[in-house]
Amino acid sequence: MHDTLKPIVDWLRERNPEFDEIPPDLDLIENRLVDSLGFMEFILLLEDVVGRELPVTELSVDQFRTLDTIEENFFGGERSW
Amino acid sequence: MTSNISDTSNISNTSGTLCAADITDAGFQRLLDRLSARASSDYYNPYTTFDWPPSLPADEFWFSPELLSVHGTQYAENLAPAQLRALSRWESVNFYSLNVHGIRELLIEVMRRVHTPGFETPSEFFHHFMGEENEHMWFFATFCLKYGGRIYPSKKLGPAAPAQDPRRENFLVFARILLFEQIVDHYNVHLAADDRLHPTIRQLNRIHHQDESRHIAFGARLVQLLWERLLAAGLDAEDRAAVSHYLADYLSASMASFYNPAAYRDTGISDGFALRGRLLNHPARRAAHERVLRKSTDFLTRIGIPLAL
Repeated sequence: MHDTLKPIVDWLRERNPEFDEIPPDLDLIENRLVDSLGFMEFILLLEDVVGRELPVTELSVDQFRTLDTIEENFFGGERSW
Repeated sequence: MTSNISDTSNISNTSGTLCAADITDAGFQRLLDRLSARASSDYYNPYTTFDWPPSLPADEFWFSPELLSVHGTQYAENLAPAQLRALSRWESVNFYSLNVHGIRELLIEVMRRVHTPGFETPSEFFHHFMGEENEHMWFFATFCLKYGGRIYPSKKLGPAAPAQDPRRENFLVFARILLFEQIVDHYNVHLAADDRLHPTIRQLNRIHHQDESRHIAFGARLVQLLWERLLAAGLDAEDRAAVSHYLADYLSASMASFYNPAAYRDTGISDGFALRGRLLNHPARRAAHERVLRKSTDFLTRIGIPLAL
């Protein structure tokens, strides 16, 4: 397993221990792995992983909806885990 | 996640279902009349009230050292005095930035309710509230832009939540507003009284505290009434626990927003995100949060919502 998305997957697993695996197309919002109050934490983690500030107000929730969309929008679409 | 209750601050409610407040109450009306009269008699022109010097001294604290996110930890001791003062500058900009974003969110929610069915009683005071909050947002934004050159952006883009019971939504909206104001007020009181700080900084916090004392008195009574109406409408033990969890999460998230990696970065501290994580788990910081939140947790306990933070 490559490490690029690993911190994000680890963060999600830590907060949602009922999920052994997080499929790349699982809707993180719909399934409440990330809720409104946890979202700021999630954004700060993602900024740390990608190494830049994200213009949050210009983004859509859909860009964070699954691991696939996160990878596509913030990591250039290259699967690395 | 810990709660089944959703933050509805990002949702446009188009169904017209916000009307279930039913907050007619003689004592509440008398309080509102008093607060509205005081808001009128204490009114000031914020655009001419403040002295805005061209710059603030870079070699002084802009934020009380005891309020800094590193206070009470070894991380504060590891910073050189000049770096600690730099952190106080950026954490003051972060504090006022949080105010700008918090005020925008609360204005949207109050604006959606003023003069709608169910909110007839507080609508007169809502006008004072919205007017004053707009002015607070202006002076906080002015501080950030004039002395920090930026407003730290909000990271609060949240997932849209399904509409829920309007009684519960009303209660949660005004509970969030009250808790936000109580947290800010803790800082305002301390900063206004700190004679190490520049007079403009003290003035900003003193005036904000004066206005907010009215808003907090209003909010505490309104939240209590909305909670009583929610209970009367039927709220089982599971729902009560969910409300309690949600508010505990809200308070924790609010305190966490004081630990901004961007402020650490502007201070010259490397790996601010990791520092944030270490600080949030530090016992001295947890104890500091309890002190900041005491008025809020005492209030919630008093109206029957004990929290497990």
